Amino acid sequence: MVCLVIGTAGAMVLITVEEALELAFPGATTERQTLFLSDEQRNRAEKESGAEVSSALATRYVAHGEDSSLLGWAYLDTHRVRTLPETLMVVVDADGAVRRVEVVTFREPLEYMPRKGWYGQYEGQQLDDDLALKRDIRPVTGATLTARATTEAVRRVLAIHAVVAEEGMP
Amino acid sequence: MLGRVLVRNGLILTIMCVMCWMAPPVAGAAPDDEKLRELEREVAELRAAVEELRALGLAEDRLTEIERRLEILAEEMEDLKVGEAAVKVSRDQTVSGLGPAASKVYQQDQGVSVGGYGEALLEFFDDSRDDGSESGAVDRFDFLRAVVYFGYKFSDRWIFNSEIEFEHASTSEGGSASVEFAYLDYLYRDALNLRTGLVLVPMGWLNELHEPTVYLGAVRPRTENRIIPTTWRENGIGAYGAFGGFDYRTYVVNGLDASGFSAKGLRSGRQKGAKAKAEDFAWIGRLDYTGLPGLTAGLAGYFGNSGQDLEDMDGESIPVGTSILDLHVEYRYRGLELRGLWARAELDDVARLNEALGYEGNQSVGETLEGGYLQVGFDVLAGRGQSALTPYLRWEQINTQEQVPDGWSSNPANDEQLLTLGLAYQPIEQLIFKAEYQNIDNEAGTGVDQFNLSMGYIF
Repeated sequence: MVCLVIGTAGAMVLITVEEALELAFPGATTERQTLFLSDEQRNRAEKESGAEVSSALATRYVAHGEDSSLLGWAYLDTHRVRTLPETLMVVVDADGAVRRVEVVTFREPLEYMPRKGWYGQYEGQQLDDDLALKRDIRPVTGATLTARATTEAVRRVLAIHAVVAEEGMP
Repeated sequence: MLGRVLVRNGLILTIMCVMCWMAPPVAGAAPDDEKLRELEREVAELRAAVEELRALGLAEDRLTEIERRLEILAEEMEDLKVGEAAVKVSRDQTVSGLGPAASKVYQQDQGVSVGGYGEALLEFFDDSRDDGSESGAVDRFDFLRAVVYFGYKFSDRWIFNSEIEFEHASTSEGGSASVEFAYLDYLYRDALNLRTGLVLVPMGWLNELHEPTVYLGAVRPRTENRIIPTTWRENGIGAYGAFGGFDYRTYVVNGLDASGFSAKGLRSGRQKGAKAKAEDFAWIGRLDYTGLPGLTAGLAGYFGNSGQDLEDMDGESIPVGTSILDLHVEYRYRGLELRGLWARAELDDVARLNEALGYEGNQSVGETLEGGYLQVGFDVLAGRGQSALTPYLRWEQINTQEQVPDGWSSNPANDEQLLTLGLAYQPIEQLIFKAEYQNIDNEAGTGVDQFNLSMGYIF
């Protein structure tokens, strides 16, 4: 069988998934889970987040501490910013609130990427009306589209998380 | 019974065929959205098929194995979606045995970034000046600029970015086509990246961030036109980065060309990267504090000579030392947007420059130029989706002849106050429509008020 090489040019990998997981859950055991959402779950997540859930497939890592206690989940969300995609890791704690947001890959020019401190605004956010630009989330002059895409991604992840938590893992 | 066996074998065969088709680490280069969705559908169907097989009583261990493989395929697809963070491939590798150049077509759509923006402006001028005399100003409807960005990522470290700008729609009617910036970046680390090429001078607000959706006002503030001459770009080299809560940029560029300076400011001193005179260079530094979301506060300075070998009546070159300093701050909270800028330029050798340029009386270039504005806007639709409706108010003061050399006078018409009251509407974030009234006063009483309408887009 001819095995072809995946030759993607120059995505800006800022941090590997492994490194991001280590930052989110230092020393924890993480296990990858693939979620296959049903149409109904997707629709519910879209309705609750107000963001598009374009894929039935969602990837998350569940993290456990040394004593097997549940520490939280880390979701990967890939979406378009302006014309090119970025991948975020949205970390959700055991209470269902955002613990951190990490940019994993960013293909747009880096001018469109907010500074690290800006992502701190998502910490502790829950899925409610205040999780929006010009509410709890302050926009970044010159990187509005990234700010918009990030906020939508966080809302989408929280909605998927809630739907899955409610109905069990699909 | 035979029917069940046929169905079972048919299902197994289908599963195996599809798996074989999917099995290689997916041919080609870029994960294609449509293809991925198709694969996702296939996986879902395969899972259903497995359940069907289980119902038909196929041995559990075989089913478990099929499920395991399905899971692996699903993860493989996820890796494609996530991109290189999960799938690290050497950039030297080629596709399908082709040489790097021939393989390029497989990779091109991953490397090129395209964007753009544009704006059109309709200006209605008052028929009379503040002193009651006829203004003679002709209303104007201009497609100010249509711009395309092209960027290319050669690798994770080397990036090219450019902006090609068409101003005033047609070169046959006085418009122009310019490369507004075109530079190579070498990305080393957060705190240190290198840049060279035709760069935007990092001063003020609008010089680097001038897309129409990024600032309030149909017409740019005058301070960022005459003292910080947006869009100001020069050839140069420098570094930029972020550390702690700070962002910095530091460049060395070819200096301004003083032969273009006038009583109205420094605007025509820009060399725009076009066969720029490089007898004098300048250093620019900028430091912004961005540590708190919503707040940006900083300062920028430009220092260098602008003489570019310009000679006085005695054949002596005139250095025209030029320094420009700006302080800028922006604060955003929910729908509120506050922005302020103050800029001051100081020039040496102005008397000799005036003589060399043949200026007389009150035509002197300013020895000191000073201007600034405060602006407040409030998005009344804040937090309700993408739409924004932002009334805004801007107060600006500028004097391009704040000081002139002894023996020269200044023209009071260059001492201006502008009050702009407007409304910006964004149906979606990438589109903006602005309407504003500008009350323009000057110390000579010759100010002409105007009403502006504009539309802008970015993509």
